[in-house]
Amino acid sequence: MVTKNSVRTATRRWSPLFLGPVVAAFIIGFVWPFLQGIYLSFCNFKTTSNAEFIGLGNYAEAFADASFQHSFWYTAATAVVSLVLINVLAFLIAYMLTQSIKGSNIFRTVFFMPNLIGGIVLGYIWSMIFDGILAAYNTSILLNTTYGFWGLIILMCWQQIGYMMIIYIAGLQAVPEDMLEAAKIDGAGKWQTLIKVVIPNVMPAITICMFLSLTNGFKLFDPNLALTGGLPFIIQPDGSTINTTEMMALNIYNTFYTAGAASRGVAQAKAVLFFILVAGLGLSQLAYTRKREVQQ
Amino acid sequence: MATKEQTLAAERRNKTILSVVLTIVCIIYCLPVVAVLINSFKANTYVKTETFALPTEQSFVGFDNFVKGMTFGNYPFANSVAYSVVITVLSVALILIFCSMAAWYIARVDSFFCKVVYFLCVFSMVVPFQMVMFTLSKTADTLKLNTPWTIPIVYLGFGAGLAIFMFVGFVKSIPIEIEEAAAIDGCGPVRTFFSVVLPMLKPTLISVGILEIMWVWNDYLLPVLVLDINDFRTIPIHIQYLKGSYGTVDLGATMALILLSIIPVIVFYLVCQKHIIKGVAAGAVKG
Amino acid sequence: MSKNLSRRTFLGAAGAGMMAVGLAACSSGGGSGSASGSSAASGGAGDGKVYWLNFKPELDEAAQSLAAKYTEETGVPVKVVTAASGTYQQTLIAEMDKSEAPTLFIIGNAAGVKEWGDYAMDLKGTAIEAELTTDAYNLYDAAGKLVSMGYCYECYGIVANPDLIEKAGHKMDEIKDFESLKAVAEDIHARAGELGFDAFVATDMDDSSSWRVTGHLANLEYYYEEQDSGAFDENTSEITGKYLPNYKNIYDLMINNSLVEPTALATGGHDPSTQFTKGEAAFFLTGSWDYAALSEAQPNVQMIPYYCGVEGEDKAGLNCGTENCWAVNANAPEADQQATIDFMVWLVSNADASAALVEQLGILPYKNAAPSTNGFLNNAADYSDKGCYVMDWATNYQPNVDQYRAALVSALNAYNSDQSDANWDAVKTAFVDGWATQWAAANK
Repeated sequence: MVTKNSVRTATRRWSPLFLGPVVAAFIIGFVWPFLQGIYLSFCNFKTTSNAEFIGLGNYAEAFADASFQHSFWYTAATAVVSLVLINVLAFLIAYMLTQSIKGSNIFRTVFFMPNLIGGIVLGYIWSMIFDGILAAYNTSILLNTTYGFWGLIILMCWQQIGYMMIIYIAGLQAVPEDMLEAAKIDGAGKWQTLIKVVIPNVMPAITICMFLSLTNGFKLFDPNLALTGGLPFIIQPDGSTINTTEMMALNIYNTFYTAGAASRGVAQAKAVLFFILVAGLGLSQLAYTRKREVQQ
Repeated sequence: MATKEQTLAAERRNKTILSVVLTIVCIIYCLPVVAVLINSFKANTYVKTETFALPTEQSFVGFDNFVKGMTFGNYPFANSVAYSVVITVLSVALILIFCSMAAWYIARVDSFFCKVVYFLCVFSMVVPFQMVMFTLSKTADTLKLNTPWTIPIVYLGFGAGLAIFMFVGFVKSIPIEIEEAAAIDGCGPVRTFFSVVLPMLKPTLISVGILEIMWVWNDYLLPVLVLDINDFRTIPIHIQYLKGSYGTVDLGATMALILLSIIPVIVFYLVCQKHIIKGVAAGAVKG
Repeated sequence: MSKNLSRRTFLGAAGAGMMAVGLAACSSGGGSGSASGSSAASGGAGDGKVYWLNFKPELDEAAQSLAAKYTEETGVPVKVVTAASGTYQQTLIAEMDKSEAPTLFIIGNAAGVKEWGDYAMDLKGTAIEAELTTDAYNLYDAAGKLVSMGYCYECYGIVANPDLIEKAGHKMDEIKDFESLKAVAEDIHARAGELGFDAFVATDMDDSSSWRVTGHLANLEYYYEEQDSGAFDENTSEITGKYLPNYKNIYDLMINNSLVEPTALATGGHDPSTQFTKGEAAFFLTGSWDYAALSEAQPNVQMIPYYCGVEGEDKAGLNCGTENCWAVNANAPEADQQATIDFMVWLVSNADASAALVEQLGILPYKNAAPSTNGFLNNAADYSDKGCYVMDWATNYQPNVDQYRAALVSALNAYNSDQSDANWDAVKTAFVDGWATQWAAANK
């Protein structure tokens, strides 16, 4: 008789084969760099081998850095504005596409397509387009913070609406047919049906999409780098700069790789703060989803 | 009170309006790609001055931009394509094989160690890359993981989180009885996994594979920090470095390269559309 | 330190590679090789040997074959090792520890002198020093020891197209200082429609071109400050910006007398190099590494100094510099030192050997070396011969170079779109205060 336990014991002997490669790669690719990163955020270092422990100094400097503060607010604004626009538009399109109209497959295909194009390439495509438009007005997306902000929002909408749309379509198709029928029989109008029946039923999809677009917004890097790269800067009286369209990820990157080796400790401290922020968002999503699942 | 015919007619009219609206939005949606297409056939200077005009007799240069783009930026574009393909194929293959194996082991053995690994995998999904980028690039450099043939190990490590999370979720939904039956038939765990479990995992393999392909193919920051970029550049790195190349930037050639880098993606998308959309929906709901 | 130099080093490497392609066809091996081969023969009598730790990967092939040839001619063993790109310091540290240490190695800058100066013998009074044409590329330590000497160099300045200038009714000789440059440029720009070409190409501010103004052109400001307050080095923690009005002179001239409106420069994409080769404009900021590419289309191109309205600038020369400086190991046995110096003399004076080096390096600043086929480097040598001053590369000491230049780019972008005093003040802040701030950040 082969029991569940004997299967388990037999399998266990093979753990080096089944778990070994992933665990080894995971330690190299994640665990070790992560732990070392935490440690280095408390150190003064130019290379990883000559780190000197200095306590919380890097964190104090990170908090005092005006450009980092600016990047936080700029990132938050970008994430919130893009969250609202992307979700409203994606839901709208998904709703229209589920009205059994002709060619909905083609529409869906087209709307999703930009999602497959990488962030760097997206940045260059849109940089060409915005400059083509703005050149007529003797300006450029690199000269004006407002253009830079809305340019990035447009880019993000173009990239992400299709993705969220797919999730909304899945949610909308799962709305029970009989509930819609019942609403119709009760004489509910389109709007009433949408608000009273459809939206409550797709709430899970809405939650997922909101969190996804929020974390996407906070983590955005490639398009930010390729579209404006943080330009234009405000030159402060001491000659340092606030890069007005720089988001947090790019700010950290620049602190690491263009601010010189002496700033690496501060950069790593910024990265830890960024991690706490993003992980906080991610874990609150997990907690929220769990809670909802329990309630159901 | 409207008659049934009137309601139906109104509904039909509404749907026509919807179709028209969507068609217009769709066309607007395609315009950026169309802009790339028309500009990839224009001489450099016209890209800036007549961005939205169709190529004219003056500005049209045929396939010159594509020819020029091949050697443009002090680095052969063909190499970038080759390295992108090598890295993506190897990485995704490693992730699919090893993560499905690990996930099955985690789901079935369920020891304390398994729980720790699983927890860490889920945890790694919420860690932004900036947190580890500096230390990871040092570690990878020390271990010589800075070539297209070794960087897949870094991808396996950093990409394990999502893959294991999705595989474990699926394995848990497979009844264990099938595997027990296989064990009774004398299959060892290795054979059980490869001949019984793996075939059942196929839908999840496709979903995970597609998500990982989309990630690795388009990834910029990890390879630019890890690879030795004098020798090895992927397509996104190549395109980013065109801007910084010293001396001249040919916008026409850049657009030609962008077009060349988009075309395989679009073809891949059109061929695997059904799987991609399913994979995305599955990944989003799970993640 | 190496970070600060990275951009220029890259240019140097790329440039030398390109020159090699351009020059390969026309290196007929000029006939100036004198009878100085005799010194090699005298050295060959000893039992010394040479170990050359080479710094330029693109020179490796030529160096290996020259070494073999020298051994064949004189019997002196010469070993050449070339460090892989970007690993010279590591290789040097490792090799210097060995019993068979390099006898000939590279000390390329002030930081190198500080670190390796003790390992270098004083080259003053040696046979190789006697071959030099200029002292401009030599490095000395604090005690005045000649630690290393340049064996090639590069230059940058304003490239002019004499054909277009003549077509506009002017002569190259007319341009002697900023006033005359301005007169010519403004005249060409005013008549651009009628002439069919303009004065300056686009001063693009994207990453592919902005270094022309944030790195190279800025050098004039630093250089003239150096004349007041001493040479810059890694410890130059602040600058005064005294000559910024001169920088502004030439900058304004460039952006306002150009093919492209200043407001359109921010995103670049005008391909200034092609504008110049197509003969669309007469002036272009670049360096000697571009000679082959430019002269192919415009064979008469010349390089002139950064004229900017400074007093006495009729004596200005080009901006020249190098990181390629030879040092001889002070700890090597005397016979090896002698053999090494003999080998160096042979390299720079033997007709075939020096021609092979010139092909790779562009120019050798030695009396009996084969002449350069790079027109811009010849321009630089001509200015030196006329007694004009060489503007050294003070720009190499820009602190946190990437961030410092990025701020300048942003400030210049704003100035380009609106040439107001307020916007120029921001440029000044980025230029002067930015230096101090970035220096402090880099040295904390």
